[in-house]
Parts: sequence; C-alpha cells; structure tokens
Amino acid sequence: MTEPVISITGLTRRFGPTTALASVSLSLPRGAVYGLVGANGAGKTTLIKHILGLLRADSGSVRVFGLDPVADPVAVLSRIGYLSEENDLPGWMRLDELIRYTRAFYPAWDDGYAEELREAFALDPGAKIKTLSKGQKARAGLLIALAYRPELLVLDEPSSGLDPIVRRDILGAVIRTIAGEGRTVLFSSHLLEEVEQVADHVTMISAGRILLSGPLQAIKESHRVGDRLPSLDEVFVARVGTAAASGPGG
Amino acid sequence: MRSAAAAIAWEFRRRHRWGLLALTGYLLALAIIKFLIRKPGQPVDLNDVRFALVVVVPLAVTFTYSLAVFTFGLSGDLAARQSMYPARMFTLPVTTAALAGWPMLYGTAAMAILWLVTRLLAVWPSGFAIPVIWPALLAAALLAWTQALTWMPYGLPGLRVVVAILLLAAIDAVVILAIHYDTREAVMVAGLAPLVPLAYLAARFAVARARRGEVPDWRGIFARIRPAPDAAPGRWHRFASPAAAQSWFEWRRHGRSLPTLVAILLPLELALLFLAGPDAPNLVLATLLGGLLTPPFLATFVAATVRKSNPQLGDSHGLPPFIATRPLSSAALVGVTLTTAIRSTLVAWALVLLGIPLALVLSGTGVVVIERMNRIAGAIGSPRAIVLGLLVLSGLLASTWKQLAQSLYLGLTGREWVVKASVFLALAGLAVVGQLAVWVSEHTEVQVALWNALPFIFGGLAVGKMSAAAGIAVRLYRGRVLSDRTLVTGAAGWFVAVLALYGLLLWLASDALIPRYLLLLVAILAVPLARLSAAPLALEWNRHR
Repeated sequence: MTEPVISITGLTRRFGPTTALASVSLSLPRGAVYGLVGANGAGKTTLIKHILGLLRADSGSVRVFGLDPVADPVAVLSRIGYLSEENDLPGWMRLDELIRYTRAFYPAWDDGYAEELREAFALDPGAKIKTLSKGQKARAGLLIALAYRPELLVLDEPSSGLDPIVRRDILGAVIRTIAGEGRTVLFSSHLLEEVEQVADHVTMISAGRILLSGPLQAIKESHRVGDRLPSLDEVFVARVGTAAASGPGG
Repeated sequence: MRSAAAAIAWEFRRRHRWGLLALTGYLLALAIIKFLIRKPGQPVDLNDVRFALVVVVPLAVTFTYSLAVFTFGLSGDLAARQSMYPARMFTLPVTTAALAGWPMLYGTAAMAILWLVTRLLAVWPSGFAIPVIWPALLAAALLAWTQALTWMPYGLPGLRVVVAILLLAAIDAVVILAIHYDTREAVMVAGLAPLVPLAYLAARFAVARARRGEVPDWRGIFARIRPAPDAAPGRWHRFASPAAAQSWFEWRRHGRSLPTLVAILLPLELALLFLAGPDAPNLVLATLLGGLLTPPFLATFVAATVRKSNPQLGDSHGLPPFIATRPLSSAALVGVTLTTAIRSTLVAWALVLLGIPLALVLSGTGVVVIERMNRIAGAIGSPRAIVLGLLVLSGLLASTWKQLAQSLYLGLTGREWVVKASVFLALAGLAVVGQLAVWVSEHTEVQVALWNALPFIFGGLAVGKMSAAAGIAVRLYRGRVLSDRTLVTGAAGWFVAVLALYGLLLWLASDALIPRYLLLLVAILAVPLARLSAAPLALEWNRHR
C-alpha cells in the first residue's frame, strides 16, 4: 500500500475559547479527488491551512507526503498547488510578472502548459492583477497553481461567488490534474453539486468534527432511502442537520 | 444610534479607542505636571528642553496620529489612485455632504480642542504671548485639507503624496512667513478661517467623485515608456533562483519606498542651501546635517509603515497566504528582506551622495564645507580626518540599514498589537529617556557617578544583549529555523564585525584616555545581533500560526 498524501491524526486547534478542529483524523491516499464539504465556519479552511502549514496544530499531527508542513515548508509547498477563496494575488503585478515570479519557485514549471492555460482562460499578460474581475483573478490563480503540475492540488472554496463559466474552468482544472497519474486533488466547497460531479471521496465536516468520510458512492449507499440513492445535498442536510440538532460539540 | 453623525462618531471611537485612551492619558499627565508639579500660574519656559520633550514631541505625534485617524489613512493605500475614503460607506443611505462633513467636523474639532487643552495645560502662562485662536485654526485647516486631498481620486499612483506635501508645505510656509513678520492675530485668523470651509467643499467634491466611481486615469501618458509585456512565454526572462524572484518581489513591494521618500524630501531640504548662501555657514552646516540624517530618519518611518501586507485586509500585518505558501524557508525570506534593505540603503545613499555635492556646487556653499573640513584636518591630522569622515558616513549608512532591519523582528510577527505596543513603548521611552537626560545634564554629581559606572552599565547592556542572542540562537537551533552552517557563519560574521570596529575605535582613540575594554563593549553594543537574529523566529511565528 502506498503512503497517503495527507495523513492527519488527532488534530485539535482552538482559537481562544472556540474549538475550530476537534481531534480530526484523516488519511487521503494518492490519486483521487477528495471533496471536503461543510457549512460556513465548519472548519474546512482551518483544516486546509494546517495542511499547508499556515497553522500549527495545538495537538495531533499533520503529515503531507510524509513530511511536517510546519517543519519543512519548502519540501511540502513545492509539491502543492493552492488556490484560495480569498485569492490574494498581488494586485500590483501584471499577469506576465506573476507568471515569471511564480515560475522561479517550481523547477517543474511547464511554460507550454502555462501558455495553453493562459490562452484557454483568455487572460491578457499585460493586465494588472488588480484590474482583473473576480473570475479572471480566479483563473489567474488557477493558472499559477496548475502550471507546474503539482502532485497535490488544494482548492479552498474556489467557486465561491463565481459565475458558471469560471466554475466550469475550475472543474476542468480538477479533471486535468487527475488526468496525470498519481495526482491528488483536495477540493473544499459548500456547492455540493460540484463536489458530487468530480469527487471520488467525500469528507463531511461540522463544528470542527468529521461527521463522515469515505467513497462518495459508499456514502450515498449508506444513506439509501428505499430504492432511491440520495444526492450529496440530501446526505449533507440529513447529517449536518442531525449534528446541529445534537447541540455544540455533538 | 439614531443618526449618521452618531454612527460615524461611534466608529471613530470604537476603532481608535486605544489611541484615544493614550491621548487621554497624555492629557492627564500634562494636567498632573501642570497642577501638581509646576503649580498653576507658574510661567513655562518655552526654551526649556523638557518643554520640547513633554509637550512638543507628544503634541506632534498626537497631531500626526489624528491626521491618520480622521483621514481614514490607517486603513487605506496612500499611493493608490483611488480615494482613501472607505468604499463601504458609499452605500450608506447618507448624503455626500454628510459623508464628507461629519468626519471633517469631528477632526477639525478634535484638532482645535487638542491645541486649546495643550495651551491651557502646558503652555499657559508663559513668558510669551501665546495666541489662542489661530494655532487652533491652523491645525484644523491642515487636517481638513489633508482629508480633502486623501479622499480625492487621482490620475496617477503616488500623485496624492506629492500634492499633499506641496499644499500642506505651502500653508505652513505662509504661516511661518506671517509669524516672521509679526502678523497680528486678527489677520492670521482672517487668513486661516476660510481654509476650513474651502477644504470642506473640496472634500465634498472628492467624496462625490469617489462615490460615483470616477477615478481619472492618466497612466496612458506613460504607457509608451513602460516595457510591453512579452507575448510568448519562451522569451520571459527567468529568475536565477527562488531567492532572486523573492528579491524582485521584495524590492517592488517595499524596497523602493526609502529611495523614493529620500528623492522627494532631499531636494526640498537642499533648497535651503540656495537660500542660505556662503554667508550663513551655520545654516549651511545644519542643512547638510539634515540631509545626511534624512535616510536614517526616513528609514525609521519606512520600517514602521511599509510592512503592512494589505491595508484592505483585517489582519493587515499578517503574512499574506500568497507569500506564506511560497516554497521558500522562513530564513530565506528574512535573508531576502535583509538584502533588500541593503539595496534600499545603498540606493538612498547614492541619491544623498550625488545630491549634496551637486547642491553645494550649484549653490556656491561648497566653500563653507571645505573650510570646515580643513579646520578638522588641521586639528586631528588629514588621515584621521579622512577615516573619521568615512567612519561617520559608514555609521550613517549602517544606521539606515539598522533602522530598516532591526525592527523587522516586530513587523514580521504579523501581530498588530505587537507593532502598536512597540510604537507606544518607543514614544513613551523617548519621553522618559529625554527627561532623564535633561535631569542628568543639570546634576554634575550624577554625571560623575554615571561616568564612573559607565563600564558597568555598558557591561550590563552587553551581557543582556549576549544573553538574549544566546537564547534566540538556541531557539533557532532547536526549531531548525536556521541551518547549523548559517548559525555558525552568522556568529562568525558578527564576531569579525565587532573585532573590526574595535580595531578602528582603538586606532581612532589611541590618544584618548579611554580604557580598551570600554571600546570593546561599545563595539559589541554597536553591531546588531539579538534583534536581527529574532527576525526569522518572528516570521516563523507569523507564518505558522
């Protein structure tokens, strides 16, 4: 059995009196698309930030490619492509400068692929990032996250607030990434239809706890009502509704 | 809250409660000094250095802080073309007149009250006739015009800074001339009073334009001279390494700030040489001193302000995820920042070293400097005078870099409370140390005791510095933040720098009766170590929260 890309054991993180993650354990084997779903404030971004090493665990351990992302950020981050919902690309850069700058960090950067993506996304290389629309910024972020063909692509709420055409581009990126053998995608979203379209595995998180995690098909099967296979949306409402009803920490 | 006026006032109060508390504390301290220590009615000596330390410095800081608060300058981008008025307020169901008027009314009232209270508590009664109305009006007018100019959208990035400096300097110059010619208070009031309503009209126009999204764009004028983007990826120039790319980023983001500020301020300072001429040697030398102190002074300002990652974000001091997720170690990121600081220092000093001789030659004041240099050479000998001059220059250069680099350990923490608390402590420390210095200067027996205790004081400081550095080194080693090689190389570099400085001090002070160990302690204290070493730890704390 191959080593998991992400291995999280007993991860707990508090922000003051709030417990953002409570003893989360998760293992993501290589070569599949993982959907991380949950309501706003459930802990999805906090979990992703631990995977990127941007947050330090209060207790428990996080390993990405078998490495601690806090202790060894260079080795971990050079193998990850990351697109955040905030998309904080530097507004003062032009797109060609952003590409030139980002390329320096990744030896596997593929100029041809970057240009292919730029043309597919219809991005002007001379445009300043701050003059781009939200959708164009998302595409620019996607371009620099994909052009070095990362082993792990992490997308944190990438579709939030974007039009259907940009959302289609993002889903296309996910498909492109997994087309490469052994690549893995972690995709957080509250747009469950999208997750359902591309995810092989789903992890559902609520109030900092993992409610369920497993192959999408198996999750649906386990929530079958008679002959009808429920949608992920229905599973989510059933599980998260139950969790919310059982009160805090429940 | 039942009105827009109350809501806007509440926002100022709520957002700046700590600053307002500090201001209240300052006024209370003034009241205590006035009524308990100095006693009411006792005249104030305006020439007393303590007056400058207790009144002028805090007043100047408070005025600057108030400018930043009431212009919304603490949360905006000064160099941007867009208005600095918060866009979120444009959607409020409030007239543009109210949006411009209420912050201006609160600001101008605060400025006037600040002057009146300071005059009552600190300045009055003095041996001089201190005017009541016009300084309050001047403060209000300066604030109102700063508001109007910061809320105005501009056609070019950075134009706001240039326009603001020119207009505010013009108002200041007119007032200074009026004081020089003993203009009566009634005339001053008549001259200054219309400035506030005029500023209100300008501000209302500015906010109205910003509210409609009207931002002029004159960048097309410069489009021809800007490099065109490359079309094909194969032609894009490659950075030699990730560090080189990060160095480019750091220079574009922060590195150009100091040279730009020096380029703006230095010509204004050196213009005084043309006014002074060779017949006013003291003014010439004072202007030169001002010019030479410009880079280290501005470096302090730059170090305190440019580290904000994005003024639009709530956690604006934190490391943006875009940078935090670069596959570059924290030590490498700090290394790039330090080398960018060197580059900034060198460029800023190149401007000074080109500008000063040019201004001396063109203004005909060079003879004053040559005469003074000849006098020094005659007193201590030419070789020593040359080395002393080079040492002073190197010291100023190193000091500029130190100002940029030494506060990194605060800014890189990414914690707003650390940055703000350090500024507050530095200002409070300045007032206390200043007071102590004045007290010491007035007591000969204390000076003798201090002179005798100097080796112990320097020794204690050196032990403190070395202990802090050792503690930081242990944390750097245990946390694997720096490699063993970097730690050893850094320590060796510091040791060599201390020895070199010690050797130089020995040579310079060979005739003086200064013990050698004291010179060694001076060298140990002068070469930065502890705070510089803390920068990677600070960044680690920020990057992995």
